[in-house]
Parts: sequence; structure tokens; C-alpha cells
Amino acid sequence: MKKRILSAVLTLTMAVGLLTGCGGSKTASWTVTCPWAPSGVAAMVSQKAASMSTNYSENIILVADAIKGDAATVNTWVADTKADDTELVFAGEGLFSITSILDPAKLQFTYDDFVFVENLYSSVFVMSADASLNINGMSDLEAYLASADEISVAANGATSSEAFLAAALFGSMGYGEKLKITPYSSAAEAAQAVARGETSFAVSHQSQILETYQQGGVTIVCAFDGDDITDGEFAGVEGVGKYGYPYFRNRCFVLARSGTKAETVSELKKLYDDILADGEMASWLSDTMMLEVDTMSEQDVQNHIQNVQDIVNEYYDIVVN
Amino acid sequence: MLEFIGPALEHLFTLENFLWMNLGVFIGSVFAAVPGLTVILCVILFLPFTYKMTAIPGMMFLLGIYCAGGYGGSVSAILINTPGTPHAAATMMDGHPLSQKGRTKAALKIALYASTFGGVFSALMLLFLGPQVAEVAAQLGTAEYFMVCLFGLTIIAGVSGKSMIKGIIAACVGLLISCIGADPMTSYDRFTLGIPRLYLGLDLAICLIGLFALVEILAKAEKKPGPLILDAEKMHDNGKISKEEYKRLLRPTLLSSIIGVMVGIIPGTGASEASWFSYDRAKAMSKHKEEFGHGSVEGIAAAEAANNAVTGATLIPLLTMGIPGDGTVAIMLSALMINGLNPGLSLFTTQGDIMYAIMIGLIFVNLFMLLQGSFLTKLFAKVVSIPQEILTPIIVLFCFAGAYSVNKNYFDVGVALIFAIIAWLLRKLEMPAVPILLGMVLGNMTETNFRRALLISNGNPAIFVSSIYCIIFIVLTVLAVATLIRSKMKEAKAGIKK
Repeated sequence: MKKRILSAVLTLTMAVGLLTGCGGSKTASWTVTCPWAPSGVAAMVSQKAASMSTNYSENIILVADAIKGDAATVNTWVADTKADDTELVFAGEGLFSITSILDPAKLQFTYDDFVFVENLYSSVFVMSADASLNINGMSDLEAYLASADEISVAANGATSSEAFLAAALFGSMGYGEKLKITPYSSAAEAAQAVARGETSFAVSHQSQILETYQQGGVTIVCAFDGDDITDGEFAGVEGVGKYGYPYFRNRCFVLARSGTKAETVSELKKLYDDILADGEMASWLSDTMMLEVDTMSEQDVQNHIQNVQDIVNEYYDIVVN
Repeated sequence: MLEFIGPALEHLFTLENFLWMNLGVFIGSVFAAVPGLTVILCVILFLPFTYKMTAIPGMMFLLGIYCAGGYGGSVSAILINTPGTPHAAATMMDGHPLSQKGRTKAALKIALYASTFGGVFSALMLLFLGPQVAEVAAQLGTAEYFMVCLFGLTIIAGVSGKSMIKGIIAACVGLLISCIGADPMTSYDRFTLGIPRLYLGLDLAICLIGLFALVEILAKAEKKPGPLILDAEKMHDNGKISKEEYKRLLRPTLLSSIIGVMVGIIPGTGASEASWFSYDRAKAMSKHKEEFGHGSVEGIAAAEAANNAVTGATLIPLLTMGIPGDGTVAIMLSALMINGLNPGLSLFTTQGDIMYAIMIGLIFVNLFMLLQGSFLTKLFAKVVSIPQEILTPIIVLFCFAGAYSVNKNYFDVGVALIFAIIAWLLRKLEMPAVPILLGMVLGNMTETNFRRALLISNGNPAIFVSSIYCIIFIVLTVLAVATLIRSKMKEAKAGIKK
């Protein structure tokens, strides 16, 4: 008898569970895959945005997922998804402008495989210098370069955005042949390397060099932007664009699979725009992450990709050789 | 340090963390109690499931398995004279004789108390020594790191088993496997054979499922399992330990905990070395030497305190420099790195709240082990006699589910199977698998630091002797290699004499 009662209770529980699952909920979970390290800037922003999604939508819940792997992760994502799947992915200039030129065989996708949803932020990279060199601005840098035999720069990755920014700056200043890019496995390692004097300079996101700067290990030389930095700890740091040197900001776009309904894409874009307009999100981005909210149009995205591609093509030899 | 304690406790004290800790302790105890199932196998099987967790619950779960594995192995050592894990062999020397004297519960109780003391002592050492070692590690540059890696590679000699040559060959296989994927210095692909899924290299967890878990199944398929009969009813004693016995336990437990910590910090050594060394010391210092081998309470306490005192100590080189103290913690490194926690000083500064939560959590893991050990020992004892015919299909299921769940694709299941076949062939050639694991873990780090150091020095090898830290690690490496070669030669000589 006991066994019969137990069986009946189990069957009933399972049936109730199944019926609950068939409840016809309108809410859809969208997984946002970030193909970089979970501790990286993009993954953290994605996580923060996802945590706020329920405040602004009753239909969409964003679930952030970070799988380190860059091109390989996006390849898998493209292979495993189709139009209207509730899947989103991050990709930036690293894939569309750098890998597409340096190692196109690595990409099993083109921009046409995606539909643009939104750009969440833009990051102005800064160049730091070993504090013992006492380089505090562009004029100090020019004086230093005139007598330097070698210019060593630490970057997070051999062919990263940071490496190309260093190549573009020193190449356009006429010192491309003296440049030696030393690749590190993370921005934190690159920051420690310059503070220890292993390299003279490092290029990184502002947030990634902040702690080393506050400890006095490095000075900040310049920002890779058109104008000087106006806010935060690095306010007043000169933008290289002011001197006519090439630059680009780091941007990572949220993309859906191509063919996804325009209505759905608009809904997702509106959700992200609402999240980015939230005061808490904006202040977190600027104060904690040292990033700027930077919503974009499809045309802006194309322009950004093209600008970086032009820089990569021009300074390809310096980085690769 | 103090500024991190508050936020760390806030992160740690959640129902989720405590559930994972307890689940880990339970699973670890069960696995270690069953002869033939090891802690390393258990950690490998459950590692993929932690990939979807955040850092603290994931590490709590794995540390639960790791610590409880130390105690669980003693259950079968005491009950059936077969150590559940290799490092419980020293416990068996006195645990089983004491059990035969009708004091099974008492023997299990002593093992549990000593394990808990050793574990908590080790966790405290990690908490206080970890940040200090990390401060020193932060001063290490690329050349110094290469020297640390080189020293780390001497672990291979310690885990080579009978033949060091075979161990070195196996390590080279591991180093070669670590080369698959993008070149760390140029980002160009190596040995990917045009297979896109190999661009990132091979996932450590998937390879390990093949190397350590599936291969066990293949090996079991070759043997006919014998029945393990356990009379759980024989645990009928009251388990009472007298006041005088408690007094006798104090010194060997404390001393063995210190030995365990010291042994654990040195890469390449492990719980087995610590427990035998401590057992030997306890015997030498005891006033009741004649009891050793015949059910000495001091013998059980010394062996158990030492093998659990290794657990926290092995994490010190892992968390500060990325050098695993033994094979099991080498696997835990991937659980940390998947959550963006890279070994080094920043782990104790910028991510200090998470790190301190994990280190404090290790103390609680040991306390839960005491709790579960006190109430569930009878259950663990019954587990000892679960037939292999039932266990094997469960493990196979876990292997495939684990391999699939990492990236949700069947390619990884295939990779795990290929590695199982490789491991099975290596086993036939009597080549150990742990050096392959260490080669895979240390390979990338060693190569990157070597090549980067030469890039910094424009190809001048003098960079490797350019600082006092480099010199220290060169001396340590030479000493470690010389000691290991000497002990291997002694073993060989002793073998010839026999």
C-alpha cells in the first residue's frame, strides 16, 4: 500500500511539474555570449546589463555567459544558432577588423551572419609608462623617443587592439622600427610588467591600469582618443588625436543571428537602450569601469570597423614583424 | 587583509555555498571510501559541473571533495584493510588492527578528529601565509616566473612512479598537448590540423576525463571484480576514547599537521609522503613504540592529521604562483581560471573578497567534514561494499555528461574518448598519467615565460640569472632534482638487494 501511495504521489508531482511548464509564459531568456575572459571589461558590462534586464522588460530576460575563446567561441556560436534563436553574442573590432585581416581562415563567419542590436560602451585606451622614466605627457614622450634605442610596449595579446594602437602611435611618429611589442596573457600582467620595468610602456583600458597608477608604479602618457580625458582619475591626459596621430576606441557590439525578426531586434535594442539610460548603469560604467555609454547605429558600426581596418592595414608590418 | 574579511564573509555565508560545501564533502567521502575510486577521479568527474557556477560555490564544492577525500580513504583502510586512497595506506597500519580489537568506531573517530584538526590547521596556514607568499610572488618578473615553472616541473620526478624516465616521457606528451592551439606569443595556430574547435587548444577538464576517468573503466573492463564483503554490524563498539588517549593524541596530531603543511607547500610531494613521514616521526617520538602496527591511536592520528594538513598548503603555491602542489589541485586551477581568477598578488588584492571567502570557506569545509563524519560514518562504511558492477555505469554516465557539458558539443566527448585510449595504451606501457596532467598545466606557462623573457632580453639568456630570485629557484631546482635522483637510486639499490 505504501509503495502505491508513493508512486501515486510521484506521478502527481511529475504531472503538476509538466503542466506548470506548459503554462505559456511570454518571458524568453536570451543568452548573451561574451567570447572573452569572465574578468574582462566586456563580460563584466554584459553581466551588469543582464542583471538589470528584468527591471525594463517583462518579455526578455538577459542571461550573461562568458566563454573565453574569441574567434573560436564566435565560430561555435554561429554554427550552433539560427535566425530567431534567443541567443546574442558580443564581437568587436578585434574580430571584424584585426583577425579578418591577419588570419581570415580563423573566422568561419562574416559580419553578414549577424544583425546588429546595440553597442553598450566605448573604452578609451591609455598608454602608461614605467614611473622611473618620468614621462607624463606627449612632450615628455617625444623627448624620450628621440634618444631611445628601443621602445618596448606591453600589450594584452600579440595582435590585439592594444598592440595595433601602439604600432599606430609609434609608427606615425616615425619610430615604428624601434618598436617591440611584448605580449602578455592579460591586461593585469601587462600593467605589472611596465611597473616592474620589464617594458617601458603598456597600453590598456583605463580601469586596468588604475590600481598600478595609484600605487605609483606607472605614469599615464596619453589617451587613444581625439580629445583629452575630461573625467575621473585620468582627467587631463592628452588625446593623441589632438596631435594628428591615429586612434580608435574599443567597442564591442551585441549581435543577434542574421534573419532574426526586425521586431525582435528592435525590442532587444530598446531594452539595452533603457538599461544604458539607467542612472545606476551609467554611473557604474563611468565611475567603476571608466567607460562611456555609447549607443550606435548600424552605420556607426560600419564606420568603426572600417576605421580600425584602415589602421590595421597601414601598421600591419610593424605588429606582425 | 582585514578589509577583505567582512566582504568575504558576506560572500561566503549563503545557503548555496554551504549546500555545495556539504555536497562536496559527502561525495568526496563516498568516493574516497570506495577502493579503486580516487579523489583525483572524483574532482575530474565533477569539474565540468563547476564551470557554470561562480567562483565561490564552485571552489567550495571542489574543496569539499578534496578535503573529505583525505578522511574518506581512512574508512576502508580501517574497516577492510584496503586504503580507499593511496595516502590512507599509513592509516591502515594501525587503523585496521585497532578495528580488529573491537574498537572500529574509536579508530574511525580518531581518524576523523585528526583529519579535521589537520585540515583546519592547514586552512589557517593558507589564510595567513598565502597573502605573504603572494607579496613575494608579485616581485617575480617573466624570467623569474620561468624559473618557478622549471622548479614546478620537478614535480614530475615526484609523481613518476617506478620509472623517472617514463615519467619524463609522459610529461613531454603533456607539454606537447599544451602546444595545441594559438601560439601564446604570435596568436597563430599550432597543431590544430585545420579543426576550428582546436583553435583554443584542448580543454583540460575534457582531456582529464579521458586520461583519468574513462581509462579506469577500460581497465576495469579487463578485470573480473571480486566481491567486497563488509559486515557493517561489526561497528558495535561505543567508540569511546579515554582521557589518557586524548592526551596521547595531542602531540602527534599537532606535529603531523605542521609536517603536512611543510610537505604540502613543496610542489611534487603530496599527502602520501606527508602521512608516511609523520607516521614515522610519531613512532620515533612515542613512549608506546611497541603499539605501532598493532592499533596505536597515535599512529592513526599522525597519518590522518598529516594527509589532511596537506590540503590547504598545496593551495599556497597554486594561488600565489599558479604552481600546483599536486595533481588534484592542478585540476582546481581551471575552476579558478574559468571564473577569471588568475593566480598572483591581484588575487589577494583586487579579488581579495572572493579569495578570502574561499580560504575561510576551507575552514568550514573541514568543520562540515567533522559533522558528516560524526553522523554518516555508518553510511560511508556501507558504501565501501557497493559492487563495481553498479558503480562503473554511473561513472561512465558522469564521464560523458561531464565531457559534453563543458562546451555542449559531441566533439569534446570524442576528445575524451581519444584521451582514454591514449591513457590506456600508456598504462599498458606502465607510463604514469599524472605527469601528462602536469605537463599540460605547466606547459603553456613555461613556454610563454621562456619566450617572453628572451624577447625582453633580445635573446640574451643571461636574463635567467639576472636576479636573486632566479638564482634561488635555480638552486631549489637543482636540489630537488638531486634529492629525487638520490632517492630513486636508493630505491633501485634496495630493490636489487631484495
